[in-house]
Amino acid sequence: MDALNSREQQEFQRVVEQKQMKDFMRLYSNLVERCFSDCVNDFTSSKLTSKEQTCIMRCSEKFLKHSERVGQRFQEQNAALNQSMGR
Amino acid sequence: MFGLGGQPQLSSQQKIAAAEAELDLVTDMFNKLVSNCHRKCIDMNYNEGDLNKNESNCLDRCVAKYFETNVKVGENMQQLGQNFSPGKF
Repeated sequence: MDALNSREQQEFQRVVEQKQMKDFMRLYSNLVERCFSDCVNDFTSSKLTSKEQTCIMRCSEKFLKHSERVGQRFQEQNAALNQSMGR
Repeated sequence: MFGLGGQPQLSSQQKIAAAEAELDLVTDMFNKLVSNCHRKCIDMNYNEGDLNKNESNCLDRCVAKYFETNVKVGENMQQLGQNFSPGKF
């Protein structure tokens, strides 16, 4: 692909930032859904039980570590793939 | 990834749109990877906040296999495309 000049890069950077913001919101809402669905099943009270709170804490911690690790492997595989395609 | 063929003289807008499309493609693949490998590898009991050894191993293999699947499907599609060229119909 043609390289972007500096003005184009600036414009693209703006696009990237907007996408990152959207991506962060999406991550957040997905995480809420995931941990709610995996951890919260008891509706005898309207407050989270301590067990549920612990589960939610671990669920979100684990998810962030999970996506970090997948991100690292993704970059490695992507680099290997690009190299094998000669780019 | 998936370089777009080097057509000369694209306008700025086209170049940025192409870069955006490539970014969207990579982001989409990454998001699918995250949700698929989470479903297949992460124990839902949440006995700890860290990834345990099993989960870590599973994730590494999951990502590798997702890429391999990607390449295989690409190859198959290419083959199908050759056998069923639009001119045939």
